[in-house]
Amino acid sequence: MNKKLIATWILGIALTGCSKDFLTAVPETALSSATFFKTQADFQQAVNGAYVPLRPIFNERWWILGELHSDNAYYARNTLFGAVDPTENIADFAIPTANGVTANDNVLQQYRYDYQIIARANQVLALIDGVTFDSDATKNNLKGQTLFLRGFAYFQLVRLFGKVPLHLLPVTGRNDAALPLSTADEINAQIEKDLMAAIPLLPNKAKQEAGRATSGAAKTLLANLYLVQKKWAQVETLMRDVITNDGYSLMPDYDNAFSFSASNKNNPESVFEVQYLEGSAGYNGNLIYRIVPTPITSAELGAITGTSNPQGLSGENNMIPTPDVIAAYEPGDKRKDISIGFVTLSQSLRDNKVYPYVKKFARPHALHQNTGTNWAVYRYAEVLLFMAEALNEQGKAAEAATFLNQVRTRAGLAATKAASQADMRTAIYQERRVELAFEAKRWFDLVRTGRVKEVITAYGARVKANPLNYYFPAGAIPPPNAFTILDDYYGLPAVEAALTPNF
Amino acid sequence: MKRLYQLTALALLAGAAPSFAQETRPILQKYTPAANGQLLALNIPRTVAVGEAPVDVSVSGKVTDEKGDALPGVSVVVKGTTQGTTTDGTGSFKINAPTANATLVFSFVGYAKKEVPIGGQSTLTVTLTPDDQTLNEVVVVGYGSQLKKEITGAVQTVSAQEIKDLPVSQIGQKLQGRLAGVQINQTTGKPGQGINIRIRGQVSVSAGSDPLYVIDGFPITGNIGQLNPDEIDDISILKDAASTSLYGSRAANGVVLITTKKGKPGQTNVSFNTYAGIQKVPVRGRVKMLNAVEFAQYKKEYYEDQGQAVPDIFQNPAQYEGKDNDWYGALLREAPVQSYNLNISSNTAKSNTSLVAGYFNQQGVVLNNVYKRYSLRMNTNFNVSDKVTVGFNLAPSYVFDNTPRTDGDRGTGILFNALHTWPVYPIYDANGELTKVNQLPGNTGNIFAYPNWVRAANELTNETKNINLLSNAYVQYKPVKGLTLRSSINVEYLNSKFFFFNPSTATNFINVPIPTTAVSIRQATENISWLNENLATYNRSFNDHNFELLAGFTNQHYRQDFSRIEANTYADDRLPTIQGALNINRGGTNNGVNEWALTSYLSRLTYNYKGKYLFTAAIRSDGSSRFGANNQYGTFPSASVGWVVSDEEFLKPIQQISFAKLRTSYGIIGNNNIGNYSQYALVNNTTNAVFGNNVATGAVVTTLANPNLGWETTKQFDAGLDLGLFNDRIQFVYDFYTKRTTNLLYNVQIPQEAGFGFFTDNIGEIKFWGHEFSLTSRNTTGRLKWTTNANISFNRNIVTALAPGIDRVYGTFHITQVGQPFGQFYGMVKQGYYQNADELKNSPVIPGRSAVGTIKFKDVNGDGVITYGGDQDDRAIIGSPFPKFTYGLVNSFQYGKFDMSVTGSGSFGNQLWVRHLYSTANLDGVFNLVAGVKDRFRVNKDGGVITPGAGQFGVSNGGGNFTGVERDWNSSQFLANASYFTIKNITLGYNIGAFDKYFKSARLYASIQQVYVFTKYRGGPNPETSAQGDGNGDGGNLSQGVDLSNYPVPRTYTLGINLNF
Repeated sequence: MNKKLIATWILGIALTGCSKDFLTAVPETALSSATFFKTQADFQQAVNGAYVPLRPIFNERWWILGELHSDNAYYARNTLFGAVDPTENIADFAIPTANGVTANDNVLQQYRYDYQIIARANQVLALIDGVTFDSDATKNNLKGQTLFLRGFAYFQLVRLFGKVPLHLLPVTGRNDAALPLSTADEINAQIEKDLMAAIPLLPNKAKQEAGRATSGAAKTLLANLYLVQKKWAQVETLMRDVITNDGYSLMPDYDNAFSFSASNKNNPESVFEVQYLEGSAGYNGNLIYRIVPTPITSAELGAITGTSNPQGLSGENNMIPTPDVIAAYEPGDKRKDISIGFVTLSQSLRDNKVYPYVKKFARPHALHQNTGTNWAVYRYAEVLLFMAEALNEQGKAAEAATFLNQVRTRAGLAATKAASQADMRTAIYQERRVELAFEAKRWFDLVRTGRVKEVITAYGARVKANPLNYYFPAGAIPPPNAFTILDDYYGLPAVEAALTPNF
Repeated sequence: MKRLYQLTALALLAGAAPSFAQETRPILQKYTPAANGQLLALNIPRTVAVGEAPVDVSVSGKVTDEKGDALPGVSVVVKGTTQGTTTDGTGSFKINAPTANATLVFSFVGYAKKEVPIGGQSTLTVTLTPDDQTLNEVVVVGYGSQLKKEITGAVQTVSAQEIKDLPVSQIGQKLQGRLAGVQINQTTGKPGQGINIRIRGQVSVSAGSDPLYVIDGFPITGNIGQLNPDEIDDISILKDAASTSLYGSRAANGVVLITTKKGKPGQTNVSFNTYAGIQKVPVRGRVKMLNAVEFAQYKKEYYEDQGQAVPDIFQNPAQYEGKDNDWYGALLREAPVQSYNLNISSNTAKSNTSLVAGYFNQQGVVLNNVYKRYSLRMNTNFNVSDKVTVGFNLAPSYVFDNTPRTDGDRGTGILFNALHTWPVYPIYDANGELTKVNQLPGNTGNIFAYPNWVRAANELTNETKNINLLSNAYVQYKPVKGLTLRSSINVEYLNSKFFFFNPSTATNFINVPIPTTAVSIRQATENISWLNENLATYNRSFNDHNFELLAGFTNQHYRQDFSRIEANTYADDRLPTIQGALNINRGGTNNGVNEWALTSYLSRLTYNYKGKYLFTAAIRSDGSSRFGANNQYGTFPSASVGWVVSDEEFLKPIQQISFAKLRTSYGIIGNNNIGNYSQYALVNNTTNAVFGNNVATGAVVTTLANPNLGWETTKQFDAGLDLGLFNDRIQFVYDFYTKRTTNLLYNVQIPQEAGFGFFTDNIGEIKFWGHEFSLTSRNTTGRLKWTTNANISFNRNIVTALAPGIDRVYGTFHITQVGQPFGQFYGMVKQGYYQNADELKNSPVIPGRSAVGTIKFKDVNGDGVITYGGDQDDRAIIGSPFPKFTYGLVNSFQYGKFDMSVTGSGSFGNQLWVRHLYSTANLDGVFNLVAGVKDRFRVNKDGGVITPGAGQFGVSNGGGNFTGVERDWNSSQFLANASYFTIKNITLGYNIGAFDKYFKSARLYASIQQVYVFTKYRGGPNPETSAQGDGNGDGGNLSQGVDLSNYPVPRTYTLGINLNF
C-alpha cells in the first residue's frame, strides 16, 4: 500500500507538472512587436505614429530655438520669478556650452523628439517592403510620407547642431544605439536622397488627406535644403514646379494664412502644417499660453484667448516681439497689426505696463490652455520668397521682384524699389523677417546668410544699453554674460553626450 | 487506505476526537468511556497493553521559580500525550493523568523543561530553573525546521512573546531594533504603510529590494503590512545564501519566514488582549517655518533690499501679531488607536486548532485618516492516523483605509504644501468657515494659488477596501519511519477596491484654483496567487551520523486583473458616481493584467556527525515566465558547514565557554523582481495623429525587446560565530558576509538617438559586505531580572561595474558611479557665501551669476570657474543615504509581578536630501520659508552688505540669476544629517494573576510608542523617512534617501490588558 501511495503521489505531481505553456505569460493588454508590423493597417498606424512628435516640437521647442534665439523676440523679465534659465539663456545668447555640449533642456528635448520621428520612420522603412499591400499607391504614399518625415527631422537636426548621428536602421539594443557623428554634408546628402525618393512617391495636395505630407511639401523641404546649400538653380527648379503645378495660392487676407482653432486649417496657402485639435483628448496645443507676456491676470488673458474660464499666468517663460521687429514693419504694412497686439499687464513691475504679444497665434478658443491652432511650417508665401531669393542669387533680380511683390501686394505694400542684386537681397531678407515673423525662420536665416555676429551683436548692444525698452523693470538688467555666445550651432545635449562615446 | 476514511468518518460522527492505536487492532476497542461519561481524548502509549484499563489520577500542585515565586502560565503536559493545562496566576495547576506512574512535563519560556514523575502523589510542588540552553530551541527554516544548535546558516528568530505589547499595526514596526543586519525604517506614519525592510543592505538598481515573505510556507505576493501581528507565533529571518537558496530566484533580498499560531500542547486556551491609546505628533522635530509676522518682515526686507516698493500687506508686519496660521499644525490632531484580539486554541490528540480574531482601529493623526482591520485566522490540523495528517489554515481579513493625500511633493502632498503656504493666509475666514483658496496679486510675489489644505484633508475621499484571504491545505503522510511526504495547495486572494473623489471645493495640488474640476477614480484589483508544493523528507540516523534529505517540486502562479475608471467634471459634488460625471477621462481609464508563473525543483541534504560537525547543501532550479525565452531556467545552489567547537574535549576545560559554534556558507541566489513582461517589446496603439479635424490611430514601439533577459545573481559568502559564555548568560553572535550581485536588472539608459530612452538588460556588479554583532546578556538573574539585547550592523556596498561604456548613472541629485557606493548624493559643495567684493574677485565664481552674498561653491575640478553639469562639472559626491551602521537595544526587566521593556533603534552616518528646502529656502519668497532665512546674508540694492547673516542662506535680491543658483543647483545645502536614535517603545506591565475563578491570569500594561527621537536632523520630524527620487518621476532605487515631508510618526500612549481564561 505504501508503494501504491507513493506512486500515486508522484504521478499526481507529474500531472500537475510543468509544461512550456505554464511558463509563458505574454502581455495581454498591449500589442508587442512580435505580432505587429504584419498588415497594411499596422503600417498605416505606424506612419501616423511617426507624425506625433511634431506636436510637442512645434508647441514647446521650435519657436524657442528658432525665434526667441534671434532679434525678433525676447522675454518679459519678471524679477519676482526666475525659474526658467533654459529659455532665458536662449533669448540672452548665454547658453552655457563647453566642448560643444550644453545642458540646456530645450536643446535636449528638441533633439530627442527629432530622433523619435527618425526611429519610427526607420522601423517602417525597414519592414514595409516585406508586407503585401492592397495597392502600390497606398504603399508608395506611406513610404513617401515616412521618407519626408525622416528628412524633415534630420533637416531640423542639421540646422540646429551641424553634426549629429545618422541612424537609418531600427536600433535593436545597446550595441547599435550610439553612432558616430556624421558631418553636415553626409546628413544633407541623406536628406536629399530621402526627399528625392519621396517626391515621386507622394501625391500632391489635391489628392492627399489634408495635413499629411505631400509632394509639394517634400519639394519645398528639399528647396529649403538647397537654399541653405546655396544651390540656387535647384531651388528655382523645385519652386517653379510647385508654383506652376501644385495649386497653391496666397490667402487674400494675411490673417487667414494661419489656422484658427478649429477652422481654416490646411488652407490653400498651407504647404505643410503641424496639426492640433482642440479638446480634452490630448491632441491640443497651448502655444499662446507659452508665449504670452506675464504676469497676466485672468481677465487680461481672457481678452486675448476668448475663453470663458481663463486663469492668470506667472513666470517669464514667454516670447514677445522686440521693439526691433515692431519697427521693421514698413508704414502701411497690414501684417503688423495682424501679427502683433498689445496688452496691459496690471501686475507688471514696469512703470509702462504695456507689452506686445504675438497676435497672429492668438486665436479665440473655448478651453483654457487648450488650442487647436495649427503651426504653419511652410506657407506658399515662403515658396514665393524662396523663388525670389533663388532667382536673385542667380542674377535675375527683376524676375525675383515679381515673386517678392506678390507677397508685398497682399500685405498692402507697393512693389519693391530694389533693383540691384544687393538691394534685392536686402529686400528679400527684410520681407522674410516680417512676413514670417515668429514662425521660427529668423534664426536659421541669420545662420544661413552668415549674419549672426553682425545682427546679434548690434541687437545685444541695444538691449544692454536700454533694458527698459526690452521689457526689464526699472533697475533690472540682462545677466552679465548675455549676448556672449554667438555660435551658429547649438551645443549637442549634455545628457546625450554622457550616454554616447561619440561626443 | 479505506479504513482510514472509516476512521475519519467515525471520528466526525462521534463529535469528539477519538483516539487510535495501531491499525492492527479492532476499531471499537479504542474508545474508552471515562467515568464522567465523556469521551476521553487519549493517545494510548504503545506500551500499554490492550485491555489494560487506564486509571484516571488527579494531580494538583504549584509551580514556582527558583526564588519560590509563583510562576503563572507554565505549561503542564502528561508525558507522551497532548493532555495538559497551564498554571494559573498563583502558579497552581490541576490535571488528570491516565496512570499514577505517569510523568508530568513542565515547560515555560526562559526556564528549563522539567519532567516530574507523579509517583502516586496527588500534590506536587515543582521548582523551575532558568533555562540556559536556549540552543535547544527549534527554529523554523526554509521547508522545515532545525535545532538552533545545528543551524549552519545566518538565521535570526523573534518570538511573538518578545514583541507582544507594541501598539502598532504592522509586524515590521514590531521588529525595529531587534535584528542585526536588518535595517527597518518607518518611512511614513500612515497607519498600515511605509515599513521599509532591507536585509544586509540589499539594494538593486531597478529590481525590488524587499525581502520575500513566507507565511506558513507560502511565499506571499501581497502586503505583509496587512497581516494582523497577533496571528504570528514566530519569525525567522534568513540572511545568508545557505538559508535562503531554497527560495532560489526570489532569495537575494533575504527571506522572512512567519509562522502563525498553532494550538500549544495543553487544554483549550482562551486569551483576550486589548489596548487603547492616544496618538499625537510631538512639536519637537517639526520644521521650523516663519510665522506670519516673521514672514511679512521677510517680504518687507525683500522688497526694500531690491529697492522696490513694499506691497501694502507687508508694510506693517506687526499687524500679523496673533494672526499666525500654522497650516502644518492645522492638519494634525490627537487620535485614538484601539486593538482587540481573541485567541482560542486547543490541542488534542487528534486535532490542533488555533483561532485568532482581531479588530484594530487606528485613527490617523492627520485629519480624516482612519485605518481599520478586521481579521480572522483559523489554523487546524487533524491527525487522521499515525501516518496521515491533514491541515487547513484559513485567514480572511478586511482592511479599510482612508488616507488624505499627505505624502508627496512638488505641490501634491498636503503636508508638504502646508509647509509652503504663507502663514499670513487665513485658514478660517471671518465667519469661522474654512477658506477655500488664498491668492494675492502677482506683485506680492505670490505666484501660486493656495487652496485650503484642511479642506483637502477633510473633503477628498481616498479610500481603499481590501479583502484578503490567505489559505493553506496540506496532506502529510509518513509511509515508513523517517519518510514524510507532504503536498499542499496554498491560495492567496486579494480583492481591492480603491475610490478617490476630489470635489470641486478642494484639491491637494498647489496652484489649482477653487472651484476646481471634480475628479473621481475607481480602481478594482483582483489578485490570485496559488502554489502547489510537493515535498518528500527523509530522516535517517545510524551510529552518530544523522541525515535528512529533502526533495520537492513546486508550481506557483500569480495573476492580477485590474481596471480603473477616471471621470471628471461633476454636476454635483454630492453625487460622485460615474454617471454623475460629464466626462470620462480616456487617458486615466484602463484595465490590465499582470501574470507570472514559476516552476521549481528543490533539494537539500543535511548531515551531522554527533551534532558536532554540521553540513548542509541545497539547490533549487527555477523556471520563470519573467525570464527571456533564451534564458528560462536558473539554478541556485548553496553549501554550508558548522562546527560546534564547544563539544570538543579541548574546550571542555574552559568553563566560561558554554557554547561555541563556527559556521560558514556560500551560495548563489537570485532576484526575479524584474517585472512581468520586461523581455517583450511593446507597441502602443494610441499614439494618435491628427489630420485636419480627424484623429488617426497611430502605433509606436515603446520598448526594446530583450530575449536574453534573466534574474539578478547574488553570490554570497557568510562566516559566523555563535558563542555562549558563563552558562549562556551571555550569548554572542557575529557574522561577516560578502555578496557579489551581478546581472543587475537595469533599464540601461541609451542615447535617445536610438529613438528609445532605455534598454532593459542584465548588467553590472555591486559588491556588498558587512559585519553583524548581536549580544544577549542576562545582566541580573536575582529577584530583579534584567536582560539586554543589543545589536549593531555595518553594511557596505560598492558598485564595481555598470554597463560597458557607462561608468555612472545620474539622477536629479544622485549618482551611481563605478568605484563608489550605490546611489550617492551628488551636487555642488557649499562653502558659504561670498562675503565681500575682494572674496568675490579672488575666488572662482559662476560667470554672470555670482555676487556678494550669493552662495559660494567649491571649484572641485580646479579650473577657476564654477560650473554645474557638462564637461566642466564641479559636482562631487556630497553624502550618502546609507548609514555607516545601524543598531538596536532592548532592555527587559522583571521584578516580582512587574515587568518592563525599553526598545530602541538607531542609525548613524547617513544623510537625507530634504526636498522641501528646494522651495522653502527659495529666497524669492514665493513660498513660506524655513525660519533660518531670518539670518540670511543681506545686501542693499547697491550691493552694500547689510549683514552677512549666519552663513546658512544667501541674498534674496537679484532674482533668478542670483537666487536661482542657490535654489536650482543641487548642493550640500539640501542635505541633512539623518543619524538618530529612537526610543521606540517603553512598556511597563503588572501581572495581576488570577482574580476570579474564570481568569487564569491577567496582566495590565502601559506603553509608549515612538517615545523620543534623539537626532540633529533638521529636515522634518522623521529621520527614518526615505522616499525615492524627487517625487516627479525621477524615482527608483538609484535615488533613495529623500525626505518628501511624509506623514509624521506619532507618539502613542496606550493602556492594555492581557486576559487568560
